[in-house]
Amino acid sequence: MDTLLSGQMLFAALVSGSLYALVALGLNLVYGTLRLLNIAHGDLVMIGAYTAFWMISLFAVPPIISLVVAAALCALLGWAVYVGLFRRMLAKPELAKRVEANSLILFYGISVILQNLAALAFTSTSRGYQYLDTVITWQGVSMTGNRLLTLGIAAAICFGTILFLRFHLFGWGLRAVIQRREAAQVVGVNLNRVQLLTICGGFAVAGVAGVLVSMTEQITPFMGFPFTIVAFVVIIIGGLGNIGAGVLAGFCLGLVETYGIALTSPGYRSILIYGLFVGVLLIRPEGIFTKAVRS
Amino acid sequence: MKGPTRLVNAALGAVMATMTAGAAFAQDPITIGYSIARTGIYAAAAPSQENPYKLWQKQVNAEGGLELPDGERRPVEFVSYDDQSNPANTVRIYEKLITQDDVDLLAAPWGTPMHLALAPVLQRYKMPMVGNTAASVQLRNVAPGYIWFPTSAIPDAMGAELAKMMQAEGVETAALLANELPYSQEFRSFLIPALEEVGIEVTVDESYPPDVKDMTSMLVEVREAAPDAVVAMTYPADSFLFAGQARELGIEAPFVMSLIGPTIDAYRKANGAGANGIVSSAHWSSEADAWPKGQAFFDAYVAEFGEEPDALDSALAYMSMEILQQAVAEAGLDPEVLRGAIAEGTFDTINGEVRFDGVQNVVTPTGFVQIQDGKIELVWPEAVKTADFAPKQGW
Repeated sequence: MDTLLSGQMLFAALVSGSLYALVALGLNLVYGTLRLLNIAHGDLVMIGAYTAFWMISLFAVPPIISLVVAAALCALLGWAVYVGLFRRMLAKPELAKRVEANSLILFYGISVILQNLAALAFTSTSRGYQYLDTVITWQGVSMTGNRLLTLGIAAAICFGTILFLRFHLFGWGLRAVIQRREAAQVVGVNLNRVQLLTICGGFAVAGVAGVLVSMTEQITPFMGFPFTIVAFVVIIIGGLGNIGAGVLAGFCLGLVETYGIALTSPGYRSILIYGLFVGVLLIRPEGIFTKAVRS
Repeated sequence: MKGPTRLVNAALGAVMATMTAGAAFAQDPITIGYSIARTGIYAAAAPSQENPYKLWQKQVNAEGGLELPDGERRPVEFVSYDDQSNPANTVRIYEKLITQDDVDLLAAPWGTPMHLALAPVLQRYKMPMVGNTAASVQLRNVAPGYIWFPTSAIPDAMGAELAKMMQAEGVETAALLANELPYSQEFRSFLIPALEEVGIEVTVDESYPPDVKDMTSMLVEVREAAPDAVVAMTYPADSFLFAGQARELGIEAPFVMSLIGPTIDAYRKANGAGANGIVSSAHWSSEADAWPKGQAFFDAYVAEFGEEPDALDSALAYMSMEILQQAVAEAGLDPEVLRGAIAEGTFDTINGEVRFDGVQNVVTPTGFVQIQDGKIELVWPEAVKTADFAPKQGW
């Protein structure tokens, strides 16, 4: 029981949760505004991780700076994908109706291309680097610097995004597009601009998550897929397209995973996560936090 | 002048034609086929095997080619395909290599499942292949004949040897954390009775899924149990996680083992001095004076790829090619004669002498390595060790 109530467990749950929330945030933004099912989302995490690795290995640039570079790189990719693939599709109503199903196939293709390009360019060899791994102890809780940084940056981006959506005019427009796409256009929201900036933002957030992940995990061209799965689990638990609920669901998943394992056994991890996922789909398919956030 | 000029031209032409034909004959390459996991779940592990293949090919070709029994040397060409980490693809690819690509020799794919799937194919087509990156007690059930396994990292022998090593280092209590993947679980199933036999008490015994993202609860349990040894039966991905979080929680056991992962170059780069003192599974070290070819391989690998070879998979992959090379020099390319040469021969490799009895290498002893000052030192068994075991001093 002492272990369960320890700050150490809470810290672990918050680090996992913040990372899940961050990875899912980008996916949710893109799905909410553009109705695109981005199966390649985890591969953007991989691009962010490689950006951090090469920046520190070749130019001794610390990951804290690489966050900006990775975000810019992934945002650029988002721009290219939107302008090159989806803008025209989304503009035509008859094509836009099928965009959700088509995007799944298109992004699957993009995922395969990104993985293989990374394998060609960097080889499949595992990569890793050392950064901020000094252990800080506060109130009996031991924290490595890189995990503390992960928690700080992921939480700041998640809650910063929620505040932005709540209080900034562009955020209102974005939420309007998520909730009533046609009505948002009628009241003057520039749909094209919102969509473009959201896909760039969603991709950038995944790149940032990749930089954070790279500080503690091995980097390979095929590391992204588990993050895609986690992101989908989180946004379905929270409610598809519901940004605030997705962030809450990410933290919730971190708590369920960490405390669930402590109460049962590590072998139950998948049962806990997917049990929650299936339970939500059966009982509240619209997402557990949807109503609470909207009210 | 016209006559003699014509004559000279004709003579020159004839000489040139003979030389070209001769050159074409001499340059006729020996093809070696293999499949490898360039994509899919094993892709990150495969370069540690394919890089030694490429290095070996480069070295052999630089010497004029692969030597045949008559002293002739022919360049080596690889024919390789991506098996997408799928054993069913491995089977199809090797059938294609043998029947359609008509390769002269075969090299091994990556991983135990691929080797096991391939054994009946080799038997059917009567094509010999020296395996490498496979380790399981199931390998002993493979019918001997056309496949051989140079590894000595077989879980039952490893369990017994690790228990002996831990006993020798004064370990009385141990915490076991095991990935749920087959190799870790197989090792765990042999380690537990071996520990009991030497009187080492298991105070923590947890298994975790391969996609584990946080080990805090397990490691808090380990920290509270304060065992003399922590044996983490990791795969590469979770070996990074284990090291990072054991460091965070200040696990103080003097004996810390991480099964697969620490011998990868990236692991030491990611963990720096924190990796020092970690024991891992491998039976080769470039530091061994008894195996002088080992250091040359290590240096050539670093020069070629800019990183250190994996002490387990890279060493095994290179050994398998050395065995093939020596067997071809003895027996040539006829599969049946070559099979006999591999089955009965004794080979000089970077890991010392290798000889097979059935499918298994019966010379190389089962060993364990430890990272000391960033280097991979062989610390067990006594007979071949390159350094003494040093208790882990913090992270």
